[in-house]
Amino acid sequence: MINLIRSEVLKIRSTQVWFWMLLLSAAFTSLGSIVTSVTAVNDYHDGNPVNYYDVFTTSQGAGIALLVLGLLGLTTEFRHKTITPTLLATPNRWQLLAGKAASYAVFAIVYALICVAINFAIAIIWLSAENVPLSFGHGVPGGVAKAFLSLVLTGMFGLGLGALLRNQAAAMVFGIVYIAILDNILNFVPWIRKGYAYTPGGALKAFNSNGHVEGMPGDVHLLAPAVGGLVFLAWSLALLVIGGRISLSRDIS
Amino acid sequence: MTAPDQPTARGTNPADGRIVVDNLTKVFGNQRAVDSLSFTVEPGSVTGFLGPNGAGKTTTLRMLLGLVRPSSGSATINGMNYESLPRPLQTVGAALEASSFHPAHTGRQHLRIYCAAAGLPARRADEVLELVGLSQVGRKKTKGYSMGMRQRLGLAGTLLGDPKVLILDEPANGLDPEGIRWLRGFFRHLASEGRTVLVSSHQLAEVQEVADRAVILNRGKLVRAGTLDELSAGTATTVVRGPALGPLQQALTDAGFGGTSEPDGALRIRTDQLARVGHLAFTHNVELHELRLEEFDLEQLFFSLTEGEHQGAELDPPGRGRRAGLPYQQQGGAR
Repeated sequence: MINLIRSEVLKIRSTQVWFWMLLLSAAFTSLGSIVTSVTAVNDYHDGNPVNYYDVFTTSQGAGIALLVLGLLGLTTEFRHKTITPTLLATPNRWQLLAGKAASYAVFAIVYALICVAINFAIAIIWLSAENVPLSFGHGVPGGVAKAFLSLVLTGMFGLGLGALLRNQAAAMVFGIVYIAILDNILNFVPWIRKGYAYTPGGALKAFNSNGHVEGMPGDVHLLAPAVGGLVFLAWSLALLVIGGRISLSRDIS
Repeated sequence: MTAPDQPTARGTNPADGRIVVDNLTKVFGNQRAVDSLSFTVEPGSVTGFLGPNGAGKTTTLRMLLGLVRPSSGSATINGMNYESLPRPLQTVGAALEASSFHPAHTGRQHLRIYCAAAGLPARRADEVLELVGLSQVGRKKTKGYSMGMRQRLGLAGTLLGDPKVLILDEPANGLDPEGIRWLRGFFRHLASEGRTVLVSSHQLAEVQEVADRAVILNRGKLVRAGTLDELSAGTATTVVRGPALGPLQQALTDAGFGGTSEPDGALRIRTDQLARVGHLAFTHNVELHELRLEEFDLEQLFFSLTEGEHQGAELDPPGRGRRAGLPYQQQGGAR
């Protein structure tokens, strides 16, 4: 398994995609940190309570980059037909899937650490410069841990979605459209919004929240954060298993 | 993280390297791509895997390598299916298509990825690049590779684990004459090292030069399999040319010889009894301009066994009619 992980990590490192996705992660995190820091400064000077939870958990915004990185994990193999030499080197398809999941988890952990660090650096510098007192209470430690975990899980979710759809273009379009557009529409669609809490987007929102998410319709009740995390984990594992079952069980011809 | 260098499989057990295909069948929808196919590739032999396009060669090789699941039957290497091999790249080297590379990877990166997967040292990538003559372009991205370079890179990948068994699917496809010449040398090199090689190819002359066995497939079914000596038995042909061969043709028919009458008047007689044919010509007072024994030609055998499906239509030279001459068959029919 260690050889397989080394091989998969080398595959990711051998193209520039990892660098651009890291840049994208850093950009989203930086943008989120600046926006929440500015809001915190304004709140503080207006005499309103500062939302430290939001200030220190903006790294979760890098999820889309992790999703794209995960989506490319298997779809690239099929697109460039490298799945043939890959399976010749690792004929056990479930072992291959496990190796890919472990490799992408390694990358996601590194990305998540960098994003958390960027988030903290910007927020601390910004708030200090504006003489806003720093506070790491208000559920911040738990929020940071959840933001970190959600990035890793989003990478796994992308890998599973790619395994399921196999076609790179279709997987990319579906993944990005879902995160950027569909997820924001689903909680307003009658009938569907009743089950929204159990969709991947709803579960992830609940997991990343501090128990309250603004902008949700009144009759949409998100799950408790821990339950949301478990539901999103279940989605990620289910996609990996079903995608692996469907895509990797097929003949490679 | 660095895995210890693993020993190579080659030479660990002289008995290793047998490929056994047993009653293998693959059905796609209503089509039987491979139909109850059985053959054995002996250790240390170079076996040509021949058949027209669509005969089922690639499907068979992919089933052998665990990429396509058989509908029934089995295909094993060293007595195991591919998925069960403990160190697959050190046991079998396979090149199936010349385009299985990520365009953004260099040739060296491509090979190093599979070195890592097999627990081989990264320097092995440079060694095999040297073996196939790609050292100069090893650091270039594969999207800039010519078809010949891609074929060579694929062949380099087969040698990474220094395996005893090599499975090559149409390695000559897309090669220019220089590449074909290189491939011929490559085959000779592999054969001289005593590796078991199963190679599907349309370059029959190249295969015949280095192969000692052939498996011929048509429409998913085995047509013939054996050593080239076995396949050539009974295929010897004596070619006779002369200005007026009619009396000789009749004499040959009376003596029980069969053969074909060529458009240019030559006779091709299915026998290796050169002296007997010469004697019949002498006793019937027939002038001969040529009397020779035609060497075994795998291509001729291939065409005859695959019912000429692989051969284009014969063009009649302008202004020249074919000669009849029963029981000799005219050229263009079954040979």
